[in-house]
Amino acid sequence: MKSNGNIVTIRNLSKIYQQGEINVTALDNISLDIAAGEFLTLMGPSGSGKSTLLHIIAGIDRPTSGECHVQGIDVAQLNESQLADWRNQNVGFVFQTFNLIPVLTAYENVELPLLLTRLNRSERRKQVETALDLVGLADRMKHLPKQLSGGQEQRVAIARALVTDPALVVADEPTGNLDSHSAQEVLKVLQLLARDAGKTVIMVTHDPKAAAFGSRSIHLEKGELSN
Amino acid sequence: MTIPTFILKNALRNKRRATLSILSVAVSLFLLVTLLVALREITLPAEDVGAALRVAVRNKISIANLLPARQLAAIERIPGIAAVTPFTWYGGKYKNEEGMTFAQFAMDPKKLRPVFGETKMSEAGYEAFEKEKDAAVIGRISAEKYKLKVGDKITLESTVYPCTMEFKIVGIYSGTPDDRNMLFRHDYLDESSGVEGMVGMWWLRVSSAEEMPGVIDAINKKFANTSAEVRAETERAFQLGFISMWGNIKLLVTLVCSAVVFTLLLVTASTMSMAIRERFRELAILKAIGFRRRELFAFILAESFGLAMAGALIGVGGAYVLFTYGDVAKLTNGLFPSFEVTSKIVGIGTLVAAMLGIIASIMPSLAVAKMSVTDGLKTLD
Ligand SMILES: Nc1ncnc2c1ncn2[C@@H]1O[C@H](COP(=O)(O)OP(=O)(O)O)[C@@H](O)[C@H]1O
Ligand SMILES: [Mg+2]
Repeated sequence: MKSNGNIVTIRNLSKIYQQGEINVTALDNISLDIAAGEFLTLMGPSGSGKSTLLHIIAGIDRPTSGECHVQGIDVAQLNESQLADWRNQNVGFVFQTFNLIPVLTAYENVELPLLLTRLNRSERRKQVETALDLVGLADRMKHLPKQLSGGQEQRVAIARALVTDPALVVADEPTGNLDSHSAQEVLKVLQLLARDAGKTVIMVTHDPKAAAFGSRSIHLEKGELSN
Repeated sequence: MTIPTFILKNALRNKRRATLSILSVAVSLFLLVTLLVALREITLPAEDVGAALRVAVRNKISIANLLPARQLAAIERIPGIAAVTPFTWYGGKYKNEEGMTFAQFAMDPKKLRPVFGETKMSEAGYEAFEKEKDAAVIGRISAEKYKLKVGDKITLESTVYPCTMEFKIVGIYSGTPDDRNMLFRHDYLDESSGVEGMVGMWWLRVSSAEEMPGVIDAINKKFANTSAEVRAETERAFQLGFISMWGNIKLLVTLVCSAVVFTLLLVTASTMSMAIRERFRELAILKAIGFRRRELFAFILAESFGLAMAGALIGVGGAYVLFTYGDVAKLTNGLFPSFEVTSKIVGIGTLVAAMLGIIASIMPSLAVAKMSVTDGLKTLD
């Protein structure tokens, strides 16, 4: 499949969960292209399939049918361990709850994905510092998560997501647990990533104010794309 | 940060729980090592030549029943016997003391050296013991405890015989597994008590180890169907006889050991399961970031193994240090003259800990393997 400058190409993608006798259709025949460098926001009511779509694009869930190519690779064809490698190199994750490891400092949390690479200590240091610098937390490296504010924690999580220099950053309601001021800080950082660092950012949100930071917005409704 | 630091920080994140589980592993392994050493000590064949050649002959009914002194001549006629002495408990009380810490036995003074060859005492002591009627020799431990020295007089009232006797200490001995007893002359006892012709038991030494079974057999047969049937047995068997009064010690110890190991397994396994369950979400994140199953397994295994090994270091190491450098003979009142933590036992303790660490990591590893990232993310913190 040709990529035509698109980093993500989705065709006829469906995801059906089997819950006992009942089939829950989380995604229903979705087709979607996402261009490299886009800051795409994914909106829709709760239960409309936003997270499911994000997870499939990011390679932590598999579609029931249809195809999802990221950078020309059919992610569903990779086995578990290839997929783990692929995620490490190509995808950065940001979640609603910040999910930092509580016993590690900001620096160590950001360094975590680099432990899987061949980089040596000083190379790792350079990348961790660059990432923390980008999210404006170079002066908080030695802090533990509990010593940071919610917004700062989420920015550390963003630094962790981009420390491996992935092409794709996915964020599932990254401002859901933040006050509006902290949310702004986080959204600005994500915007910066897409605009200045050349990353493709896909963000799930149901807050229209948050969606305003993106370059394009799509809506999901009961597993289908609307408009 | 490196992977080992990461594992260490994870293992110590709940310091109280880590400490408690390490301590419970340590205490259980300490107990296990102690039991294994005790088991080995009581089932160990006597090593010193003296004891290996010694035979105890007691009344078949019980140790408390006396034997006729006339048996001596018959025993002495049995080939393969080097020396025989009567050995009779006096049951004396010293200075009205309630819990006597040393026993007194009447014996043939000429046979002290031939029968109890490991006894070390001055030549003058042996000489005086044979020459003087009221002579008594006493073990070093008791002599030190009661500040007794050669030349001192000591008066003991018997709780068994209707008499009170005065003794003169002529020698202080050492070199036996438990240097406590007082030994005095049997002829003096006969005279003072007026009870003649009875002895408590016989101790004898055979000329060589090969003669041992034959001699034991011959003695047992000799007095079969007499009014005083006897039971002859090796010194080791004789001592064990006391211990087996509590039942089948070996089986008991084995059962307790198994229970200890099993409990230990439950404790470690539940600690690990708890530690991993509360990190499920984090593990899902690690998976999302790109950590593979085998890396997460390695983390869990290392943590579990580390906990168990830390416990082994304290428990097995502590037992080793305590029993090697501590005075167990004193602590157990001479029940265990030696209490050796052999390298094999250290090995068993460590191996149990290692197995524990591995087994305890299986359940959490399986749970983590089954967990999909998306399910893990849904777990609440
Ligand atoms: N593991 C699962 N098993 C069964 N149903 C699921 C599972 N995950 C999600 N769903 C269902 O799929 C639909 C979409 O879920 P989700 O993508 O999480 O929605 P959103 O993120 O938009 O709130 C919902 O109806 C949800 O109940
Ligand atoms: Mg969602």
